[in-house]
Amino acid sequence: MALRLWKKAVVLTLRSKRRFTVFTLMYTALIFWSSFSLDLTPTLGDIGLTSFFIAMGISIFLSLLYAWIITNYRRREIATLKCIGWTNKNCQAIIIGEIIFTTLSGFIIVIEILFHVVAFLGYFYSAYDPTFAASGLPLISLGSVFVTFLLFILVQLIGIFLGTRRVLKVRPIIALKKVGT
Amino acid sequence: MMVDIDVMIKAEEVNKEYRREGAIIRALIDINLEIKEGKFVIIQGPTACGKSTLLNVLSGLDLPDSGKVILDGENISRSTEDRLARIRRRKIGFVFQDFNLINNLTAIENVESALWPTVLRNKEVENRAIAALRDVDLLERKDHFPVQMSGGEKQRVAIARAIVHRPRVILADEPTGNLDPDSETMIMNLLKKLNKDYDTTMIIVSHRDLSKWCDQLIKMDKGRIISIK
Repeated sequence: MALRLWKKAVVLTLRSKRRFTVFTLMYTALIFWSSFSLDLTPTLGDIGLTSFFIAMGISIFLSLLYAWIITNYRRREIATLKCIGWTNKNCQAIIIGEIIFTTLSGFIIVIEILFHVVAFLGYFYSAYDPTFAASGLPLISLGSVFVTFLLFILVQLIGIFLGTRRVLKVRPIIALKKVGT
Repeated sequence: MMVDIDVMIKAEEVNKEYRREGAIIRALIDINLEIKEGKFVIIQGPTACGKSTLLNVLSGLDLPDSGKVILDGENISRSTEDRLARIRRRKIGFVFQDFNLINNLTAIENVESALWPTVLRNKEVENRAIAALRDVDLLERKDHFPVQMSGGEKQRVAIARAIVHRPRVILADEPTGNLDPDSETMIMNLLKKLNKDYDTTMIIVSHRDLSKWCDQLIKMDKGRIISIK
């Protein structure tokens, strides 16, 4: 049952195209920014670290904003689902699934872009320098991306907490109110 | 307390008050009511007479300030939110005036959504949704989204969602309120047919005169039941 609800959360997320695209791209940019900052920290010191913390601060803000937007947007839907027999936990599973899936999508895009960039740059570098090794490319390390992703998931817990709290506050009776009242 | 075996819903001395802009509004006053299994009941009355509040209390969406509501032998007037949700999942189907379909889901997915939190297998969920859509004669539009449907069709999908889990009682709040007269007749015929075919108790709230369809007509005014015919 829980697995089915998570699958449906993915379907609902993908069908909310505009919101999903905007937030996934913002998460992608933030994961790049954070990973890059983390990579630069040993060489640039405080600047890299400050940049990393700014990115994490923005990601906390975005996480809260996303949770607020989806629970607000889905308020009437949640109320309707509660009317037809969904418990609070069932409704929370949909919100959690939507938040996690969007973050995961941002991470997958980062990994995908990195692999393509390695392949693309590697192709041109090796054409000019037969002794070329991929490690010589000026790229973000995969380790930083994974560390950033784990931190992003932790940050999302704040959004999940807000989202699930807001789900509890949705009263099923709202579904019976006329649209626009 | 004795409960008649064929009584589906019983309300005893139910009272409900609201506070609105500082004033106390007595929405339900000493409501006593018995609705028998398989009946087609219309609750009728002018705007703000308390009929929707009564529907909310009978379905467990709202709790009475005093009194008891017994649904199919279970006292639901002092239950937790999750227990009430489970009771609704097993026993109640809802039809709303504004249809309340999820716009991002197709017709069949909207119908299935009532069964997603159950332990039924996916195939069984799909089969039941198909059967429900067939009952409302809308199977050919199962992959359409709500925005691609007319008001009457949306309401039929909502009815399919209300019957998919085979509830004992269907509660409808102004189900024809947003429909033209032809669609109203179609929806009322459909509800009547489901009432006969499945012996499902129907409780419909309306400010319109739908008395020709019902077995029992409950008239309300100013929070009180003024007649039961």
